[in-house]
Amino acid sequence: MTTALENVDLRVGQGELFGVLGPNGAGKTTLIKILVTLLLPTSGEALVDGLDVVRDYKHLRSRISMVSGGEQAGYGILKVREQLWMFSQFYGMNSKAARRRIDELLERLGLAEAANKQITGLSSGMRQKMNLIRGLMTDPRVLFLDEPTVALDVGAARDVRSEVQRWMREDPTRTVILTTHYMQEADELCDRVAIVNRGRIVAEGAPRALKESVDEDVIVDLQLDPGTPLLDLLRAIEGVGAASVREEDGVDRFSLLLADDAILPRVMTTVESAGRRVSGLVRRQPTLEDAFVKLVGRSMTEEEA
Amino acid sequence: MGIVMPRQLIGFAAAVRLGWAVSSNWTRPILFVTYAVLRPISVALILAVMYSVITHNAAAARPYLAFLIIGTAFWSFIQEGVSEFATGILEDRGRYHILKYTYMAPLGFPLFLVGRATSKLASAAASVVIVLVVGTFALQLSISPLRIDYPLLIAACVLAFISVIAFAITLSMVLLAGKDTHGYGEIMAQFLYLFSGAIFPIAVLPGPIAWLAALSPLPYWLELCRRSILHGQVYQMFPSLSDGEVLLRLVIATAGTVVLGYVIYRWTDRRARGLGYIDMEANW
Repeated sequence: MTTALENVDLRVGQGELFGVLGPNGAGKTTLIKILVTLLLPTSGEALVDGLDVVRDYKHLRSRISMVSGGEQAGYGILKVREQLWMFSQFYGMNSKAARRRIDELLERLGLAEAANKQITGLSSGMRQKMNLIRGLMTDPRVLFLDEPTVALDVGAARDVRSEVQRWMREDPTRTVILTTHYMQEADELCDRVAIVNRGRIVAEGAPRALKESVDEDVIVDLQLDPGTPLLDLLRAIEGVGAASVREEDGVDRFSLLLADDAILPRVMTTVESAGRRVSGLVRRQPTLEDAFVKLVGRSMTEEEA
Repeated sequence: MGIVMPRQLIGFAAAVRLGWAVSSNWTRPILFVTYAVLRPISVALILAVMYSVITHNAAAARPYLAFLIIGTAFWSFIQEGVSEFATGILEDRGRYHILKYTYMAPLGFPLFLVGRATSKLASAAASVVIVLVVGTFALQLSISPLRIDYPLLIAACVLAFISVIAFAITLSMVLLAGKDTHGYGEIMAQFLYLFSGAIFPIAVLPGPIAWLAALSPLPYWLELCRRSILHGQVYQMFPSLSDGEVLLRLVIATAGTVVLGYVIYRWTDRRARGLGYIDMEANW
């Protein structure tokens, strides 16, 4: 049996937009499932809005809501507005108030024209926006977003992110817990993030603070034409704190964390010795991905593989 | 001033509406109603014809024909109730991928399931009336609305309703806590058919099975339905018991079903959550 989460100790404050960041399979969704009462923890204690997720789950459910990304959830036979109204009723909302709220959110998310469409006819972006409305309309005290922008096009993902931000601004007591494996999304949205890998929290803090942890390193992106494997050779160089690679458009893109500038010539020598041709080299500011690589020693893509 | 409805009632009403939308969406309303009427009539008539052929329409067999028709009429309530609860779980999980959201809703999952199955239970209740009307006119059963013992019938049906709901919720939760559970609803409904005394008295079952059937509330319910509608003109499963004694057995069996159902419900709910089955992906 695999342990999905181990020694996870987190405290999220009221009004925070908290990110749980990590590769696929890191344990993010398991954590969310426990917090929304869908999964019982095998040990330990979890409180949401002061309520125990195991003992007080019935009371807790009226205070929370969850939206997951990348799924085709919904009664296909119902129209968008009908489906949302139905769920508002399962949460005990006043029917008129629910209809008003639904129309307002449909308008805000650009779904007003699709309100009377059957949900089987929606694009994945529209469907995800509808799911987001389902999560927001009941005005939960804590909203759980599990990879809410996964598989969405750029425009739809941006709309989802900006609606979440607007929803948070409307009421400073609202709390959001968001899981994502998009570093940029966590960086843009979250007040604080926890980086999770293989069921453990490896770091926690504000995105800026986490990025500052790699501030003293020199971060270099190296583009190489395809050739012999190089990652292990680069990692073996003294002064290379971490190295990762991803293939994009037929080019190998290496990210290197170097202890200082003096390491770069050694890197270039290694590259040349391996017969690889450099097609680009950029020194850049640190990102959360760099923080992850430094903490874990491998990139998220490698962890997922 | 508007009527303020309790939150649970609001959610329940929406679940009823959802159940109707889901169960009637496959065709136009007129065809749906035709199907809902013709199906129970066909079942009752097939049984009646089979029985008439076997007994050569003998006058002495009339009380047993009444036994058969009333049992079949009321049976549809169990059939629809049990299978619709199970279908609700399987559809919401495998077809609509929405089970986790309905499960999490503050309405409460059991109440949601009852609401979702209500339209089917209502159509089953209508089919009871239809089959009894057909029995009265087409098969010359001496059913008169003026001679029905309504207090007894209502008491029996309320208790049976509680039993069926308890059993159906329990079965649903067992399905929730399991994998690959397609068809279990229908199987369980057929299994109950055997134990219910719907088409034959439970005394004809082999010893241990008859003993098990006697623990179920269903034979007592159907017995009371038959007695309250046709009094002495119907074959009796429990001739040595008075109406009051049968009712008492029904009360005890119903209480047992509810208690057992609650225990199983709690256990399966924890099991489903413990194994992470609530949001499990399933084929449809």
